[in-house]
Amino acid sequence: MTSTRSRISGYAVVVLALALVGGLYTAFAAPKPKADTGTNQSIAVKEGRQLYLQGCSTCHGLSNQGGAGGPSLIGVGASAVVFQVESGRMPLASAAAQAPRKAVKYDRTQIDQLAAYVQSLGGGPTLPSGPLDDGNLALGGDLFRTNCSSCHNFAGAGGALTRAKYAPALKPADARVIWAAMQSGPENMPRFSDNQLTPDEKKAITTYVRFITNQNKDPGGAALGHYGPIPEGLVVFLVGIGVLIIVTLWIGARA
Amino acid sequence: MSDSIRDRLKPAEDTPEVHHAEHPAGDPVVSTHHAYHPDLRNDPKRAKRAEIAVSALFLLAVVGVIGFVVTYIAAPFNFGTANYQTFTPLLGIFMTLALTGIGSGAVLWAKTLMVDEETVQERHHLASDPKDRAETVEILKEGFEESGLPRRSLLRNSILLGAGSLAVLPVPLLFGLGRFQHKEAVLSKTGWKAGSRLLDELGRPVKLGDLEVGGVKSVFPDVPGGRRMADSAALLIRMLPEDLHTSPSRKDWVQEGHIVYSVICTHLGCPVKLYEQQTHHLFCPCHQSTFDAANEAKVLFGPAARNLPQLAISVDADGYFVAQGDFTEPVGPSFWERKPSYSDKVGA
Repeated sequence: MTSTRSRISGYAVVVLALALVGGLYTAFAAPKPKADTGTNQSIAVKEGRQLYLQGCSTCHGLSNQGGAGGPSLIGVGASAVVFQVESGRMPLASAAAQAPRKAVKYDRTQIDQLAAYVQSLGGGPTLPSGPLDDGNLALGGDLFRTNCSSCHNFAGAGGALTRAKYAPALKPADARVIWAAMQSGPENMPRFSDNQLTPDEKKAITTYVRFITNQNKDPGGAALGHYGPIPEGLVVFLVGIGVLIIVTLWIGARA
Repeated sequence: MSDSIRDRLKPAEDTPEVHHAEHPAGDPVVSTHHAYHPDLRNDPKRAKRAEIAVSALFLLAVVGVIGFVVTYIAAPFNFGTANYQTFTPLLGIFMTLALTGIGSGAVLWAKTLMVDEETVQERHHLASDPKDRAETVEILKEGFEESGLPRRSLLRNSILLGAGSLAVLPVPLLFGLGRFQHKEAVLSKTGWKAGSRLLDELGRPVKLGDLEVGGVKSVFPDVPGGRRMADSAALLIRMLPEDLHTSPSRKDWVQEGHIVYSVICTHLGCPVKLYEQQTHHLFCPCHQSTFDAANEAKVLFGPAARNLPQLAISVDADGYFVAQGDFTEPVGPSFWERKPSYSDKVGA
C-alpha cells in the first residue's frame, strides 16, 4: 500500500514538472506587415492627416495639441509612429500601465503616410533608408550588453519594471521597430540619440538583437524562455528529483 | 578478546533466541528473517545466468565510457555545425549508460548472487572493565611521579607559564577580523578623480549634447583600467532641468539636467541600470529597490536603505563631462565601518 501511494506521488511529481516545462514555453507571433511604398510625399502627408483624424485625433487632439488621453505628437518624429503603429501598440485599446503589442491595424503604406504626416508637424527622428540589420554583430553584442540588456534581458526575453510596467521581449520586433524604439524612446524606454549611438552602432545592435532572437539555436535543447538559471534550475530540480524518487520507489518496491 | 569479527557475526539461524533482559541497551528486537530472493548457491544454472546478466551490465558501462570518449574526441562541439545539437545529449546518454550499467549491475548482483542472510551482532557495555581502568590510573600516577613535576616546582611553574602564554598567541590575529580591519578607507574610494572624463563603454569621452532628454549612458572613469573597475560604474542620465530636484549643497553637481549616480545598489550591490525615463525611476532587478533619479536617487520602494551615491560632474573647456572628484560616500552595500553620514563636500 505504501509503495502504491509513493508511486502515485512520484508520478504526480513528474506530471507537475512536465506541466511546468510546458508552461514555460511561450509562443511568440511575429506579425510583419509588408507593403510597397513610393507614394508621393505631399500626397502621403495629406493621406496621413486623414488617417490621423480618423484614428488618432480622439486622444492626440484635432490639431495635435495632445490632451488627457495622449501626448502632443509635434516633434516626436516618424520613428515614434513606426514604433507605435507598426508594433500594434497604437491605436491604444485601453489605458493601462503600458501599451501592449497587439495585432497591427494599418498596412505599411498607411503607416508610412501617418509617419510622413507626423514628421511634417515638427520634425523629429526618422528611420534611415537602406538595410537596417547588416551591421557588425560583435560590436552589437557589446553595445547590447551595456545599453539594452539591463532591462530587456541578456537574450532579449524582456523583464519587469516598476509598477506593472515591463520591458517587452524583443523577438517579435523587426529591425524597423527596434531602430525606431532606440530613436524615439517609447514610454519609459530611454532615448538613444544618434550622437550617443551612431547609425552604425544602432545597426550593430539591430543586427545583434535579430540574431539572438531569431537564430533558434539552443544547444542545450529547451530554452525555457531564455530566462536563465532560475527556471533551468527549477526544471532540473523537479524533473531530476522526480525521476530519482520514482527510481528509488521502484527499487524499494522490488526489494 | 579471542573471538574474531567473523565469530561475532553469526548467522541468525544459529542463535534464534536473542533475549537479554539484563542488557544495557534493553532487549534488541530481532525480527523474523524472510528471504528477499532465492538462494542460488544450490542452483548453479540460475547462478550462472545471473552472473552473465550482472557482467553484461558492468560491460555496458565500458560501452558508455568508450562512447563518451569517442564522442568527445571524434565529434567535438562546434557551434553551428551539423552535429552541435547532438553533442551534449550524446555525452549525456553515454554517461547515463556508464553510470546506469555500474549501478544496476551492483543492484542485480546484490539481489541474485549475494548470500541472503541476516546476522546478529551482540552489543556490549562500552566501558572498559574495572581492572583495566584501575591499571590505567596506576600507570598515569606512576608517570607523573617519574616526570619529577611534583618535586621540581621551577619546572612545573615554568611549563604552566610557557603553555599558558601560547594561549595569547592567537589574540593579535583577532584584530584582523571584522571591525578591527578598518575597511572604511578602502571602501570609500573608487576610480573617479577630479577632472577625469566620463567614458562610455567603448572608451569614448561623453560630451554635453550626446544625450537627448530621456537618454541614459553607462559611464566609467578615465583612468587606467577604469572601465573594468566594478566599484566605479555609474549612469549618466539626462532629464528636463525643471524635473531635476537637488538639495542646495548639491546644486553644482548637475549640468543642464545631466546627473550621474553610482549604479551599485545600496542594498546588496546589484547593478541598478533599469531607468524609466518618464517616471525617473531607477529599478534594481534583484530585489526591486526603486530609486527616484529626479530626487537624488531617494529610495521609493524596496529593501535598499540609502540613496544611490551621486557623482558631482562639470563640463570642461572642450565640452566633455568631467567628474569634480570621487563619490563623497562609499558606493554599494553597507559595511561595518560605514559612518552614519557623509558630508556633501567633494574631495573632502
